Amino acid sequence: MNANIGIFEANYYLPSTKKTLAQVFEDEEKPTESFAANVDFEKDIGIDALHVAKEETAADLCINAARLTLSKSAIDPKEIDLIIDFTSIPEDYVAPTWSAAGQVQQAIGATRAFTTAINTGGCASYQTTLKVACSLMSANDRYNTALLVAGDKTPEFNHNYFPITVVSDGGSAVILKKNMTTRRILGVEVATVGRLHDMWVIPGIHNRKTEDIGGKYPRWLHVCGDIQRFNKELIPINLFMFRKVMLGVLKQVGKKMEDVDYFVYPTFSAWDQDAFLKAFKLPREKVSTENMHHGHLQETDMVVGYVDALEAGRIKDGDLVMLATNGAGFSWGASLVQH
Amino acid sequence: MRAAVGILAACCHLPAHKRLVEDLFREEGAGYSAEVAARLGIKEVPLQDGAASETASNMAVAAGREALQRAGVDPLTVDVVVEYSIMPQEYLVPVWNMSNKVQAEVGASKSFVVGFSGGGSSNFMVALSSAAAMLAENDSLKTALLVTGDTTIPGNRVLNPADPVTVMGDGASAVVLRRDAPGGIVIDTELWSDGNNHDVCYIPGGSLIHPEDINFYRMQLDKARYDAFPKAETLRQMSNKLLERAGIKFTDVASVLCSNISAQDETEMQQAFENKVSPVCATNRESHGHLQGTDFPLNYLSSIESGIVKQGDYVLGVSHGMGATAAVSLLRC
Repeated sequence: MNANIGIFEANYYLPSTKKTLAQVFEDEEKPTESFAANVDFEKDIGIDALHVAKEETAADLCINAARLTLSKSAIDPKEIDLIIDFTSIPEDYVAPTWSAAGQVQQAIGATRAFTTAINTGGCASYQTTLKVACSLMSANDRYNTALLVAGDKTPEFNHNYFPITVVSDGGSAVILKKNMTTRRILGVEVATVGRLHDMWVIPGIHNRKTEDIGGKYPRWLHVCGDIQRFNKELIPINLFMFRKVMLGVLKQVGKKMEDVDYFVYPTFSAWDQDAFLKAFKLPREKVSTENMHHGHLQETDMVVGYVDALEAGRIKDGDLVMLATNGAGFSWGASLVQH
Repeated sequence: MRAAVGILAACCHLPAHKRLVEDLFREEGAGYSAEVAARLGIKEVPLQDGAASETASNMAVAAGREALQRAGVDPLTVDVVVEYSIMPQEYLVPVWNMSNKVQAEVGASKSFVVGFSGGGSSNFMVALSSAAAMLAENDSLKTALLVTGDTTIPGNRVLNPADPVTVMGDGASAVVLRRDAPGGIVIDTELWSDGNNHDVCYIPGGSLIHPEDINFYRMQLDKARYDAFPKAETLRQMSNKLLERAGIKFTDVASVLCSNISAQDETEMQQAFENKVSPVCATNRESHGHLQGTDFPLNYLSSIESGIVKQGDYVLGVSHGMGATAAVSLLRC
């Protein structure tokens, strides 16, 4: 793969309205299942408040993030060759028939771009999309600039993703360019355990049970998790799979774990981050553990963690940065960016 | 691209049950006339009849298994499963995607999965182009399984009943791609989008904007905008661009494969492509209707099996889909 494709610019957009976690837990359904980890889900999660989109649609969140990123980059939208939507929860209209990519193209005036959407990987759709985008750019001389966008708006009363996390609304965008000498994407590794496909799903309007309809919690688009399987089948392999994709991408490019200067990791929960630090013997300052105030932002976590670390000076020139995450499906992904 | 990537095998898995288009029109309250029948050129479509084996994902699994078997590929050597469906799946995409289930059930446990949204009938070529790029550009990836399963929404098989555009059937297909394959070489793909038409065809109900309205859970088409979009001309211009890039003349192309949307659509394609659209497209359209992403694998297989396309022939696959997206792929068989 062309080793000179890099992250030219990245940014995110979060709605200004915030909702305290105490209010979220008061408003939403109480989970009835038990969680295997020895933690108090509500008290120990480490997130105090969530960003909540009011009138803005999911596509608006994508478009706002794209505009912020384009403005920061000073790139003319007409230069963009590819737009790939990597949103990981349902959008304004039903997928895979529709995606927000075309609406983003229209809104920003990226008239020559080809648009598509990657709809796999859950929060790891960021890594899957990087893999596809870099491959397409590398294989085709005519693709020089790509815009990756995501916008997630959680249905009302479904911010509580027990037992994993609590989710904010927001959007993110990343501009990839060829011929970069810094922020180069050295490699991307993705792994999937497909037998877990039906552990975390949204049944959809065509598949809903009558008891889900109406009432305070009209769960038309709410996620349903099989907590027993989560405890028995996902938790035991999670860190093993993280190790597999991280070592996989390091092997791709001939690097070692100790060569990595900084890790971008999702903001699922405080205990999840602690488990990651412990498993890989990483000091807290080497991992993006300071973004919990945003709440978990699905695939956008990777962009928020990266952008915040850059702006705070935690990533420096010459640093090797590992971005690693997992997501529904289930997939795990890791990418390496050379600063 | 560094290495040639080609199609090792393809397979379609269609429900055994078929319905006459005339009956579907009656059921859906759409007017069926001799003029409509001639314009569509579709006699019957395969539709699943409620059997568990004929859910979209189960048909995709069956197609995937058969394609791997035809290719002589051990599922454990598949590096990536690429999904190109168009219709809503058993659970909501993108939280769920059938590619994960396919990966598990065909035994491709060493692979990762990728799925594509928003390209309509062009989704297959988006998947083909992306998979070919991944195999050509990543040393660790050699074999891809492309797969789809599409089942239509009951009561929504006639697209735009007031002025019908096509009749959609159910089906699944799979294609095995490999770096250094001996034939079926994917030479190049040209992709194009017009975001102004992002909502020319979509399903409004069951989404964030209309979460609870089952009456909107239907594929809707803005016919005026659909008609205004210069589909055949756009595809011919894209083909010319792609052929020029590949250093091949249109006269060297043996055959053009288009989507099985309607007789009217095919007539426009025949005009734009100088009557090179393969006769298999009309035959498959009449007997199967529009099978979304499966149209291309079905027509490709028919072309090979009928001998219309021979080894070494250049074939153009052309498709326009919602999004609006247009796609052209050039293959050397």
